Amino acid sequence: MSEETVNLTIDGQSIEVPAGTTIWDAARELGIDIPVLCHSPRMRPVGVCRMCVVDVGARNLQASCVRPCEDGMDVDTRSEKVEKHRRMLLEMLLADYPEDSARDAATGDDELLNMARDYGITEVRLRDGAAGRPAGVDLSSPVIAVDHQACILCDRCVRGCNELQHNDVITRSGKGYGTRIAFDLDTAMGESTCVSCGECMAVCPTGALTNRALADLKLEPLGSD
Amino acid sequence: MKLLQTMLALQEREGWLSDETLGRLARETGEPLYRLEGLRSFYPVFQEQPGAKHVIEVCRDVVCRMQGAPAFREELLRELRDDPDVEVREVSCLGRCEQAPVAVVDHHHDASNATEVKLALSGHPGQNGVMQAHDAATDPYASAEDHYGVFRGLRDGDPDAGRDSVIDQLKASGLRGMGGAGFPTGMKWAFTRGAKGGPKQLVCNADESEPGTFKDRCLMETLPHLMIEGMIIGGWVINAERGIVYLRHEYGAAADALRRELVRAREFGVLGPDAFGPGKPFDMEIFISPGGYILGEETALLEALEDKRGEPRNKPPFPTNFGLNGLPTLMNNVETFAAVPMIVDKGGDWWKAQGVNDCPGLKYMAVSGDVSRPGVYCVPMGTTVADLIQRAGGVAGGEKLLAFSPGGASTRFLPADKADTPLDFDALQKAGSSLGSGAFVAVAEGRDLLDLATAQARFFRNESCGKCVPCRVGSNKAVAMLEDALRGDIEAGLPDLLNELDDTLAQTSICGLGQVALSPVTGVMELFPEVARRLEKREDA
Repeated sequence: MSEETVNLTIDGQSIEVPAGTTIWDAARELGIDIPVLCHSPRMRPVGVCRMCVVDVGARNLQASCVRPCEDGMDVDTRSEKVEKHRRMLLEMLLADYPEDSARDAATGDDELLNMARDYGITEVRLRDGAAGRPAGVDLSSPVIAVDHQACILCDRCVRGCNELQHNDVITRSGKGYGTRIAFDLDTAMGESTCVSCGECMAVCPTGALTNRALADLKLEPLGSD
Repeated sequence: MKLLQTMLALQEREGWLSDETLGRLARETGEPLYRLEGLRSFYPVFQEQPGAKHVIEVCRDVVCRMQGAPAFREELLRELRDDPDVEVREVSCLGRCEQAPVAVVDHHHDASNATEVKLALSGHPGQNGVMQAHDAATDPYASAEDHYGVFRGLRDGDPDAGRDSVIDQLKASGLRGMGGAGFPTGMKWAFTRGAKGGPKQLVCNADESEPGTFKDRCLMETLPHLMIEGMIIGGWVINAERGIVYLRHEYGAAADALRRELVRAREFGVLGPDAFGPGKPFDMEIFISPGGYILGEETALLEALEDKRGEPRNKPPFPTNFGLNGLPTLMNNVETFAAVPMIVDKGGDWWKAQGVNDCPGLKYMAVSGDVSRPGVYCVPMGTTVADLIQRAGGVAGGEKLLAFSPGGASTRFLPADKADTPLDFDALQKAGSSLGSGAFVAVAEGRDLLDLATAQARFFRNESCGKCVPCRVGSNKAVAMLEDALRGDIEAGLPDLLNELDDTLAQTSICGLGQVALSPVTGVMELFPEVARRLEKREDA
């Protein structure tokens, strides 16, 4: 059975892809990298960070990680309009981001900070929401550090924990601006059913979930109290 | 539906959802704890702490704010502070704007002043009156025994021709979705009927929660047979076997009226095992929302019906093709369904001709704010704003009109000199605003429009689901800056920054809530120069 395909243009390049392919995936085939924070090719796309928005000529921009290609679409992935909104989204995230990111300090692969550097963002005009780390830190797990202030609610850890590893521990808790990640019924990570598999920390794009050094960890036999 | 309904029953029985209760639920159902936490923390009905014996919910939104809600709340806090059995909570619009300011005592009794609150607390509440719509003209029935006659006529006729004819009449009528989006109803029905896959699903969005909106409450309380017959006709046209009414939890009287009406409809035989003919069942159920304005967004509503956090989906796909549980779903607002029996009975051309100024049909407007007789008014589409205000008794206290919001929190305030604009989707859009859900709020001279527009933005911030970055963060930052500005603390470059934020929210948010969250604010900045001037940082300041 022949597969249904669609033809479209992305940044002036033509491409034919199977129906249902997202714009983000089609662009990648053309060698066009659309910036993204919440999506990872290993995961079901959720379209929440909105950094991957592109212009398809619609009333508003479309998140390319979730938007299926359509026949005859003419997509612009890096127009001034698109880049302007990406810069504002970065400003929003940086306004609530801590001065020090554990991931940036340890391994230098903090995707938010690196993207902000790529975009040359040096000034954030929105009010600082990170001073004093009001969102809190959770160091109850011996192997994973949780810095809620550095969490951008990209949902990668949630999908990593529940959909990739099927450990079923992490959720978004609360609503609106007060939303944060939580473990089980909102217990400390170290007291939750977390098995320390490390998936959440591996997929986290920011300093929210990072590994803790094992060097000084005291291992105790089961049953000792 | 089942998991949320179980949690609602537990909340009702125990007064809160403790970790122990959810732990037990997890063991019984096999649901992981994280999932229960996601739901408990998202829906406002669910409490994570044991609450006080009595709960007083005071509305904080724009219409109640205009009528003194902040002082009302202060008074209640002052008078009841020594009573450990009473908790006073601020909540979003309760859909009783004609009684503003309003509080609901123990989820049941409406009260507009401290005396009424205390009477309700002492177990002697006044009667919650049922509000009739003024000039309601969309009921084809002269007497109650004739109810459901339009559908019975369809059922007795040729089914294919009947279904085609309903869609043709809807298209001819010019009826558009009355929930706010204004999508042509006939097209939506045709799309769902023609969609691949099944069984088709049918949902009535009865979750109106936008500040100023209470027309659906009135229609459900006083004319429930119209909405239910509209749903039955919809179910018959798309060949569904069940319909769900998604009702906001604050509408207890509407729930009672609908439940009584479902019993009647079963007695009429238009619901039940043979509703669509011998052996062809159709029935309906009411799902009480666990709360939150965002659930009125159609895909968030579907997520809630699937026992998930009510966060809007990325679209496309749209519900007509991929709705409840991935099945094609017809979803309309209460008023939209309620118009269907009349349109099928009298014909689409008749309905269309009921409008004036070249606008089609009839419209229920919820009128509140600074008018003498707030309430629900059934008017010809195309009636001018000035005429509507006259029908509602004119501007309260003989004041002059300063501005009006034609259709709800998301619709921009227009200045009084636009009062000759017809109430109509296209005309109001041309005038720079929108008909929205028909929640008309009149504002008299002397009011602070910046304060009111900020209250609208604050409502959207409060009701943001938090899923996408622009709405979650942008609405919060903008409201914080606006509240500072109202106190006189104005940041340099504030107007530009607000316009930029509005643009990014409109362009990149997943759903309508985020897309419009700052529109009321940038609207008053654009249309009321004195407001814009107040946001400029003065050099001497």
